[in-house]
Amino acid sequence: MGNPLEHFELHRLIPISLFGIDISINEAVVMMWIVVLIVFGLFWLASRRIQIIPGRLQNMAEYWLELLQTYILEGNMGKEEGRTFLPFLGCLFLFIFFCNLLGLVPGAYTATSQVMVTGTLAVLVYFICLSVGFAKHGLGFFKVFVPPGVPLWLLPFVVPIEIVSQLARPFSLALRLFANMTAGHTVLAVLFGFVIVLKFYIGWLPFVFILGMDAFEIFIALIQAYIFTLLAAIYLGEVIHLHA
Amino acid sequence: MEGPQKEGYRDLGIVIRVGIDLVAGTLLGTLLGYLLDRALGTKPWLMVVGIFLGTIAGFRNIFRYLNDLENKRN
Repeated sequence: MGNPLEHFELHRLIPISLFGIDISINEAVVMMWIVVLIVFGLFWLASRRIQIIPGRLQNMAEYWLELLQTYILEGNMGKEEGRTFLPFLGCLFLFIFFCNLLGLVPGAYTATSQVMVTGTLAVLVYFICLSVGFAKHGLGFFKVFVPPGVPLWLLPFVVPIEIVSQLARPFSLALRLFANMTAGHTVLAVLFGFVIVLKFYIGWLPFVFILGMDAFEIFIALIQAYIFTLLAAIYLGEVIHLHA
Repeated sequence: MEGPQKEGYRDLGIVIRVGIDLVAGTLLGTLLGYLLDRALGTKPWLMVVGIFLGTIAGFRNIFRYLNDLENKRN
């Protein structure tokens, strides 16, 4: 039986090195390109001939974005801001969702099982939060580190805690997506190993399990993309309405 | 989606969020402490401080989040 973590390994397909930094093209990069192509192609097709009575594809695209806007953006950020951030958060959601989903195709690589990928996304979200905060509130944005109604002598204790709890946000964002994808695919790999080892007589039992797990993984792929986008919207909303 | 169903989706979000937030705070505090220790050569004291700070920060994040939720419901 092979190592169940083997399929997370990356191999340099086209080795490239720029100023001593390894930026080789590997499986994760190729998968992300494919995802971008699919999402872009789908929405390009959907918006090619926009009609008042939408066709099938246009209907689907409108449904996704409307769902995002009503349930994630407007509820957490307010109507006006939700509209402003729909393009960014919509892209984020679709990218993560398709990365998760295509990873379930046998032989494909799950780009979101690399902590570098999820970490980059989380840091991107957090930098946008910081830029929006400083653009909107100026230096008053440093008030995020000072919760309202704290006595002065407690500040030396509270401020470091607040700084760490702020930094923990992108960290937990990256960790959650990465951990969920890695765990799910490891379970699938272990079960597949059982099927091969146990031969036909009892091997069908883990195989039935795999079918159930696969359905569950599709659900997880959706939920994790949803959670990532939801949390990004919540953080952005908190930054826009400081201590409101 | 109607009211109760929407609420169900939000509750699912809470369940998924709370567990990782707790671990992430502790992990981050430990990591920051460890890196500072290595940079400043004060092993192991900053890591000890970092573990405590990170744990408190993780709880604080969850506490604030659940508090907001409670306020929103009422």
